[in-house]
Amino acid sequence: MGKAPPITNRVRDLREAHGGLSQQALANAIGVTRQTVIAIEQGKYSPSLESAFRISRVFGAGLEDVFGWEG
Amino acid sequence: MSFREKSAWAMGAVMVFTGLLYLRLLWAVPADASPQSQLGPLIPYLFAVVVASIAVQVVLAIVSRGDPRRPADERERAAIHKAGHWAGFVLAAAAIKGAMLYLWQGEGAVLFQWLIGSLIFSQFAAYALQVYFFRRGV
Repeated sequence: MGKAPPITNRVRDLREAHGGLSQQALANAIGVTRQTVIAIEQGKYSPSLESAFRISRVFGAGLEDVFGWEG
Repeated sequence: MSFREKSAWAMGAVMVFTGLLYLRLLWAVPADASPQSQLGPLIPYLFAVVVASIAVQVVLAIVSRGDPRRPADERERAAIHKAGHWAGFVLAAAAIKGAMLYLWQGEGAVLFQWLIGSLIFSQFAAYALQVYFFRRGV
């Protein structure tokens, strides 16, 4: 619960690099709530594989360019 | 705050207030009342829960506009599922405690009210845990 999952991500950096894409716009693009995007950025929630692919596609990047593993 | 979290807060509050109403109604039942009269507090309680739940959901739907029509997303579904899982343990523990009470005291009315109380409390726990998992992560 309190322990963050060992999956890291660069979602916030990529949003800023893509013209300051808002959390709400990203949430709409991948079909989740803004709160879920916030939880992903804060490392409180690891998205499903499907959402991870959707996020990567929004940024035109590979999965491993967006997500990393610190385990 | 997402619509689901607002809803969990509101429904948790409904469970607290209606639970207190149930306790107050229960207090009015005489100790030597017949087993059937134990149902007395339950009917107004259920009425209050239904009315309060509908009122709360209508207000939330008006305030949140499009959100209520959107299905829960993957994180919300996981939080709701996990909260329900742990609330099941709360209900089980309370039911076992009620069964123990019956073994020592042998009063069916106490067991009945204990089980109703356990259902109310576990439902409150489900909403409280939803809020916790929404905020702290799943």
